[in-house]
Parts: sequence; C-alpha cells; structure tokens
Amino acid sequence: MSSREPSDDLEAELLALGSSLDVPAPPPADVAAAVRARLEAAPRGHTARTGRPARPGRRGRRRWRVVAAVALAVVAVTAATPQGRAAVAHLLRYAGVELRLGQAPAPVRTPAGLPGERAVAPGELESLVAFPIRRPAALGAPRTVLVGDGGRVVSMLWPDGTRLDQFDGAPEPYFFKVLGASPEAVRLPGTTAWWIGGEHPLGYIRRADGTSVPLRQAGPTLLWQHGDVGHRLEGAGSKERAAEIAASLR
Amino acid sequence: MDDDEAISRTLDGDLSAYEVLVARYSALAHRTAALLGAGDEAEDVVQEAFVKAHRHLAGFRRDSPFRPWLLRIVANETHNLTRSRGRRSELVLRLGAEAGTAAPDDPAGAAVATDRRARLLRAVRALPERERQAVVCRYFLQLTEAETGQVLGLPLGTVKSRTHRGLARLREEVGDELA
Repeated sequence: MSSREPSDDLEAELLALGSSLDVPAPPPADVAAAVRARLEAAPRGHTARTGRPARPGRRGRRRWRVVAAVALAVVAVTAATPQGRAAVAHLLRYAGVELRLGQAPAPVRTPAGLPGERAVAPGELESLVAFPIRRPAALGAPRTVLVGDGGRVVSMLWPDGTRLDQFDGAPEPYFFKVLGASPEAVRLPGTTAWWIGGEHPLGYIRRADGTSVPLRQAGPTLLWQHGDVGHRLEGAGSKERAAEIAASLR
Repeated sequence: MDDDEAISRTLDGDLSAYEVLVARYSALAHRTAALLGAGDEAEDVVQEAFVKAHRHLAGFRRDSPFRPWLLRIVANETHNLTRSRGRRSELVLRLGAEAGTAAPDDPAGAAVATDRRARLLRAVRALPERERQAVVCRYFLQLTEAETGQVLGLPLGTVKSRTHRGLARLREEVGDELA
C-alpha cells in the first residue's frame, strides 16, 4: 500500500498528483441507504437467508435523487465552446449560477459592481424586487441592502463581511464562477447546496446579449436554490457556519 | 464492527450490517470507478457494484481481504459501462484546490507546481488504456501490485510490465522537467 517507498521522483509525483485529485462522491450514508433500498426492492439475494421485515427505503431515496439530478446538470463542453471559455472542462449550472470548471483561473484584478447597483432602505425592498425576499434568522439586521440590475439581484451585507445575494436565477444562469476544482455538495434541509472553498473569479451574465462580465474575486461561497431564487452566501467563514445561516432563512 | 463481522451479519440477512460495509467503502469505490473511467456515471456504477457484491457475498472467500474483492466488482462494472458506451473510457478529472506544493508566499512557484501537475495529469490521461489503468491503480488508488492484479484481473507479471511501460511513456512525455 502507501507505505512502500517510491523508487523515483516520477512515482512520488504520481502519488502526490493522485492525492490532489478531487473526486466528488455522495455522502456514504446516502449511498448505503440507496443500496439498501434497492436490495429491499428486489430482495432474495442468494445470500440473505431471512430478511428482517422490509422497510421502505425511506432515508436516502429522495436525497439520492436530488444528488443524481444535480449530477446530471453537468454537461461536457464541446468544441463549440464560446470564446473565452476554452479552458473550461465542465459546466455546472445550478441555482442560477454557471460554474465553469477547468484549469486554475486567473484572478479578477479590477473589482466592479453590478449594473445599477444602489443601496436601498430595507423597507422598500419588496416594492423593488419581483421575487420573494428572505432573511437569515441566524444573523442580525444587515448593515447595507443593495438592489442591482433592475431588481434582479438583492445583496445583504453584514459588518463582519458576510454577504448574501438573492437573485432571479430562472430561466438562465445569472452569475458565473470560474473554478479550478469541483464544488462540494452540502446537505441543507430539503435541498443540496454547493460549497466552493477557495477564492475564485465571480461575474454576471448580461441578459441582453449573454456577455460574461467579470465582477471581482469572491471568497469561499455556499450556493443553493429555493424555488426560482438563487442564493449565494459569501464570507460566512466555514462551510458548517454557511450551512447554518442558509438553513435559517425565513 | 470489522469487515468480517459485518459480512457474517449480512449473510444472516442483516441489511444494516451491509449498510455499514457500503458506507465504509463508498468513497473508495467512487474514487475507483471515477479514476477507472466511469466519469459522471460513477454513482450508478458504485450502486450497481454494491448490489452485485451483496448478491455474490456468499461466494466471497472469508480468509481474503474484502477491499480488493469489492474493487474488482467496481472495476468490472466500470468496464461494462465504458464498453456499453462503445468508446474508450475517459479519465475526467480535475485538480484539487490545493494542488500547489510551493510555499503560499511564493505564488509563482505555486503556479509552476500546479502547471506541472496539470501536464502530468494530461499525460496520464493520454496513456493507452491498459497502461493507464495499471498506473491509476498503483499510484492514484495506491494499491499494491498484488491488489492491482486482483482488481484488474491480471497476473502479477502483467501488472508489473504495464506499470513499467506506462511510467516509461510518462517519463518521455513530461521528462526531466519534473522536480
């Protein structure tokens, strides 16, 4: 096993490369529950002599489907890749965000804001935005509330650097992120979120002509969807804390 | 509960014991399927493999380790999948986030290290399938030569020669630029 000494540099390099490869897998408990559900649905393995009373595959089934559906959203980019996406290996479209997975991206050096972005009073929010706005109970009142791009995006900012964006993610993605590594699936009540652990370029896709406009380098972010509304939570610190805040939206 | 006990209980009809085994080997099974070419279908392959393993568990030799026995089934399922797709299995992989080995205060060095790994990964991807699978088992999955033989269904000598040829080809491709 891994205890053997690599006999030369190439072997050592291959072992290190293998360890750095990012292979996403669903949570082991979900796999176990899905396998159990299949075995219960078609019992009579040659092996099981006496099954206990069959339980429906209650636990993992629905979650499993969610994971599978999300996985299906991964599409390979063909030779018809639009310009500027040449280095992209995979696209993942989820929660109104297009994740462009490929080689390690160049950072965005000049930050920009969303078109028409302006601070608004929390009270006037509902009249400016066409989708339902929710607020995280786990955080206090935001210091700043911004509305951008004709009411398509609402951003709430807290003094500790936490930022929650809610945006109309249907029918086309609104934000894009360029990533060198796959995001990690995170379970939220009733849905699956994606955690992006590193700093990465963030931009938005102009509805009028589909142009990708860079915005800034974003920090670690949790992405998820609620109804047609996409959510991105940035600056929450750990994945666990982000999931906690996400679950507290009311 | 160790593997042997979980297997005994499973054979007695205890599905919870089998869930323990599945959860224990799930990550490794996904890694094996993905690295041997199952791509986005690794999840299906793994489920199918665990269902089959359960079915054939009575035929498992209890004095041998469970891990390579299970991975053999995963490898076979992956092979069935890629064969049914009628094309060469693809190694669809991405470098992990912390691929660089250089010091964090040395961004240029980190970029070089990342680039080197990306080139090595491309070279592995381009290997002939037989050599690639041996290299993947030995170095990416860190299996022994004996385990690799068991998982790929090959005699030990064949594992050695395919690994050797694969390494020679990689050395040609990425050469002495490797640190």
